[in-house]
Amino acid sequence: MNNEFVRLDTDVLVVGGGVAGSMAAIPALEAGLKVVICEKGKVLDHCGSIGCGVDHYLTIMDSGPEWDTPEFLLKHVPELTDGIVDMAVAGRVIHEMPRIFRKIESLGVDFKDRQTGDYYRLRSFGLPGTYHINFDGTDFKKHLGERVRKGKATVLMRTMVVQLLVKDNRAYGAIAFNFRTGEWTVIRAKAVVLAAGDVNRISKNASGLAFDSWHIPYNTGDAQAMGYRAGAALANMESVEATLTPKGFSCQGLNALVSLGAYFVNKAGERFMFKYDKKGENARRAVIADAVINEYLLGNGPIYLDCRHLSQDMLDRMEHTLQVDRYTLPAYYQQKGVNFREELVEVSVSELSIRRSGVYFRGSGLAVDTNGETAVEGLFAAGDCATVSGGISGAAVLGHIAGEGVVQRIRATTGALPEIDRRELEAVRAQSGAHLRQPAGLPWQQFEDATRQTVSDYVGVRRNERGLKLALETLCALAQREPTLKADDLHGLMRVHEAKNIRMNAEMMATASLARQETRTGSAHWRLDFPKTDDVNWRKFVIVERGKNGPVTRTLPTDQPLSAAFSRCHAAATV
Amino acid sequence: MTTPRKDVFNPIRINAETCVKCNLCDWICPGDLIYKEEDNRETLPVIKYPDECWYCGLCQSICPTNAITVVFPEQMIHNRTDVASLLGKVIE
Repeated sequence: MNNEFVRLDTDVLVVGGGVAGSMAAIPALEAGLKVVICEKGKVLDHCGSIGCGVDHYLTIMDSGPEWDTPEFLLKHVPELTDGIVDMAVAGRVIHEMPRIFRKIESLGVDFKDRQTGDYYRLRSFGLPGTYHINFDGTDFKKHLGERVRKGKATVLMRTMVVQLLVKDNRAYGAIAFNFRTGEWTVIRAKAVVLAAGDVNRISKNASGLAFDSWHIPYNTGDAQAMGYRAGAALANMESVEATLTPKGFSCQGLNALVSLGAYFVNKAGERFMFKYDKKGENARRAVIADAVINEYLLGNGPIYLDCRHLSQDMLDRMEHTLQVDRYTLPAYYQQKGVNFREELVEVSVSELSIRRSGVYFRGSGLAVDTNGETAVEGLFAAGDCATVSGGISGAAVLGHIAGEGVVQRIRATTGALPEIDRRELEAVRAQSGAHLRQPAGLPWQQFEDATRQTVSDYVGVRRNERGLKLALETLCALAQREPTLKADDLHGLMRVHEAKNIRMNAEMMATASLARQETRTGSAHWRLDFPKTDDVNWRKFVIVERGKNGPVTRTLPTDQPLSAAFSRCHAAATV
Repeated sequence: MTTPRKDVFNPIRINAETCVKCNLCDWICPGDLIYKEEDNRETLPVIKYPDECWYCGLCQSICPTNAITVVFPEQMIHNRTDVASLLGKVIE
């Protein structure tokens, strides 16, 4: 490894080059600011969470009818989120949707149906209007990446940020390393945007392959763990997300089929969704996953996806949609020898992730204000690592809001940035490098497996106090072993950092789950010892923060924005 | 050699005959699994970490000569896991 740190001074550091990160970079670049993006992958042309293109995009378009206005959707947000939502931030995101949608169109994304030349809008996931545009978004992210490149952002590829630089509750940069070259970089920035996505590889799935996950397995809660260590507040960490996948292959794509009219049936051939929600398969994603989990626990599995009743036109559309989200899905069906047009497809409950628990506008992660700024001044968050999240459009809109927030914050801030503390840099690098000199150490794979088993057994879709306490004991014992984690090479060192971040997120999830003594949103937080939803006492956020000996929680009523819990005195500007 | 670890299933199969050794699969892999010596038109890409594959197929989709095929292992194709076993243990 090179002994010298590469030093970069910039205005804005963006961690993660997915939709949220790219959309945050764009307004900063437009304002003439210098932007550095750190990205573990090597390209900006694909979505961070799903790696490919996009097949649906949620937006208000203000096209005339009442349902297509921000006010109408916003009115339904409390029921869509089971009352746990930051209405101030969700309100800003929803109001900004039409503007950001038009902006993305202006970047070259074509949302129109190729055949009709018009928008093909669908009602899905329990939303009160046809807000989802179904489109061929194979090139969606390419257009965003192009705009970032044209703006001359500095992009550091195959680079993992391992620690934020924070002084007096103000973020001023980060330390990162390139896992191909071993080069360490210290980036001093006036503001930092965390946009590193959700938390995966945190529980077991049907195939038993850790990297076979619904969302990209290389999103490992790096932003949440770093934000936590830097003193930011997180919320909704108790809400866990599961989805439905073809059994054996944890891939996205089933949801799109369901919004196009597919059914779920159990082993008796019963179309059971109506037992759980009057909207049937059009229920919210969290309700659909919950229903299938219940059916399996009732012994009604296997559960199947049924497309056999659909017209040939619709089946053609589905077939075309399959590979937009996951390129390999058609090949998988082919290798498996299943024809979804004529046969039932067995479905499984996916591994769990920490994201937004199948609920729009209620993200699990870093709490932000209406500018996308966290409890740490100058530290912003957007996308699936933030508390208001909503798929691609949620990432795009909050990302753009955060980018504009960064511009405001930088313009409102005076005074020089703190000097880099050389000893801090050396300590971070030495601690990291020690993992390369542990020939008899603990393999990160084994460490991660222990986290996954613990989460699946006791912090997953059925929880109680004893199980959660047992999980916390195990997770804390694992933390003690972190210094002995072994990396065989630089790539392995990156995985060691990821494994530590995954464990940290699991501990935050278990801590928050123990605090919320009720059940809410079905299997997203199902406490067997508190099986009822308790609106009298628990219409509250559970906030997780760093305490002296690990994560601590407090609550905040949901009639207040999460920023009411922030200790920094004010936002950069009133919105 | 495209599979340095014989004990691990390799999902990314590269046809050595048709591979033009161009580096695109290394460039696009989101998981940093595929290593190709740059500026060397003699060497094949190496799948260094096959057990960390996400089965996204980006390498296959970008390959200019269709030299890559993603192959799924048996436990993904014919999966026999009891789904209920993934749904938690209850301790009273």
